[in-house]
Amino acid sequence: MGQLTLTGVKKRFEELEVIHGIDLDIKDGEFIVFVGPSGCGKSTLLRMICGLEEISAGDCLIDGTRVNDLPPVKRGIAMVFQSYALYPHMTVFENIAFPLRVEKMPKAELTDRVTRAASVLQLDSRLHQKPGNLSGGQRQRVAIGRAIVREPSIFLFDEPLSNLDAALRAEMRIELTALHQKLKATMIYVTHDQVEAMTMADRIVVLDAGRISQVGAPLELYHTPDNLFVAGFIGNPRMNFIPATCLATSATGTRVELATGGTLTIPATRANATPGMSLTLGIRPEHLTLAPADTTLTITPTVVERLGVNTVAYADLPPIGTLSALLPGSAPIAPAQPVTLSFKATDCHLFDDQGQAFTRHVDTVTPVPEVAGA
Amino acid sequence: MKKNAMINRYRWWEMVLMYLGIALFLFFILAPFIEGFLVSLKPLGLLFSTPYKFFPENGSFAAYRTMWDSVPGFGRYIFNSFFISTVITIVVLVLVVPASYAFARIPFPGTGALLGAFLAVNMFSGAVLLIPLFRLMRSYGLLNTYWAMIVPGVAFLIPTAIWLLQTYMRRIPKELDEAAYVDGASHVYILRRVILPLAMPGIIVVAITTFIGAYAQQFIFALTFNSKTEFMPLPIGLFAYFGRQEVVWNELMAASFVGIAPAMILIFALQRYLVAGLTAGAVKQ
Repeated sequence: MGQLTLTGVKKRFEELEVIHGIDLDIKDGEFIVFVGPSGCGKSTLLRMICGLEEISAGDCLIDGTRVNDLPPVKRGIAMVFQSYALYPHMTVFENIAFPLRVEKMPKAELTDRVTRAASVLQLDSRLHQKPGNLSGGQRQRVAIGRAIVREPSIFLFDEPLSNLDAALRAEMRIELTALHQKLKATMIYVTHDQVEAMTMADRIVVLDAGRISQVGAPLELYHTPDNLFVAGFIGNPRMNFIPATCLATSATGTRVELATGGTLTIPATRANATPGMSLTLGIRPEHLTLAPADTTLTITPTVVERLGVNTVAYADLPPIGTLSALLPGSAPIAPAQPVTLSFKATDCHLFDDQGQAFTRHVDTVTPVPEVAGA
Repeated sequence: MKKNAMINRYRWWEMVLMYLGIALFLFFILAPFIEGFLVSLKPLGLLFSTPYKFFPENGSFAAYRTMWDSVPGFGRYIFNSFFISTVITIVVLVLVVPASYAFARIPFPGTGALLGAFLAVNMFSGAVLLIPLFRLMRSYGLLNTYWAMIVPGVAFLIPTAIWLLQTYMRRIPKELDEAAYVDGASHVYILRRVILPLAMPGIIVVAITTFIGAYAQQFIFALTFNSKTEFMPLPIGLFAYFGRQEVVWNELMAASFVGIAPAMILIFALQRYLVAGLTAGAVKQ
């Protein structure tokens, strides 16, 4: 079993508090991704769960047992490091066998376990090579092999793919997801890459400056971010934020006036909203279209990036800074030529002056039927 | 490094200047050894002839044979030198390897102060401390034993060895220790299975510098703390060629070369590691 509970976990380095009380419940067999900008404390939190860093306050429970003072092995966890941390003087076999050698496992069982781990990771033919002769992806697999050979109930990954090139990263992402399905163990994965977070996670934990900003399934974070930080962090290019003023509120929506001009009723509400309150409207670049919709924005693109499948346009819009739009690959748009973009009220997010999100009254689960010819 | 890289291309006169510079320095360093070697080839009478001739006319290796007869204990002196240096090297390594690991990996209060103190100890030459050392040796009854030369030798070589090795160990990525710790290894296990094999080039460098240091510093300790002929190391042994009436220069020179030969052979054999160890990690791979 690999059930993990954190209650009020804090971390202080001398006087400086870097983790400000984390409460989190992780179910057995879940794939959890900690994501956040650098310096948000995600690696520190992982190292605390691992047992490499002391927990200054609060409790860490694994399967109901408090493990704060237990060394890593006794917690039943294994960790894969960003730099792989392979022993360069040992063969692949010895690297994978290392944890078993430490616990003095009989030779026959040891060989059996290492061979099994190696075959799961397709390292069979590499067992007698040294890490120096392996490619980045193979080294990463050896590091994973060293983790799975002990059959822990919880796996910890500290940015394991950040040293690989883009193509290999995509490949390893799929392999890791497959491995998770095969092993059915709990995995906690730290990354700053939101693509890894979105594609691999059952649930994502977004961390911001030592606090949990939001916990949820990938699409939950995408469709209903709790606050401005999560809204800006999840999604690429990032969400556009337009200052707005609340005009009127009702049970089903909020009428706002945009700083860029125009008024709009958005199907989102919040109890503390009052007319006159300054709000922030969020609209994702992929929801800006050339086809007419509820409201329009006229921009003059400064940079247009053609990616083939998509076109990304960037423009300076005085009250909000840079605005980006994700348009179809062949969109008729060029730098320095003004263009009018539209968006639907149902695609908009609203945030109050504290950055907290309004509740959206939009069905985000049912897929929207494709309109023929659109 | 690629040999034909642009950065390694020079004009012919630059090459000439470089080799001239090398030749000048080499001559400066090697001249005494060359002269010493030439002296060892000459018959004694020729040494005091005027005008002085640098190159022997009918030189021979006779001195290399007669030296063993004129000082019968010479073989023993070489053995003593080798024995003392070897024991010093082993003792230093046994003490310095765990000490360096601790300095490199285990944070404890006073790390910096202790390392500074080691450096300060290094600034004293052994000669300054001869009298207190002599009294110490006398109270422990170590005078006129091998230990009289080994103990101070070890003491004066430990600081440099710790500095060298702990710097080397600090370059080994900390994740390796952490990974081993997560897998349940103790400090001793990590030191033995992870750090020791990876620090081997550094340990060989420390062993070589310690051995050379021990070979070179024997003279003063042997002269002061030991008066027994059978324990004499090579530098003192060479005094035996100073006769009552005359110094047998050619045999003395021959003996010097024979004496340093074992150390030279050892260093040439391990030179590969010396260069590798001194530069390893200097550039990020």
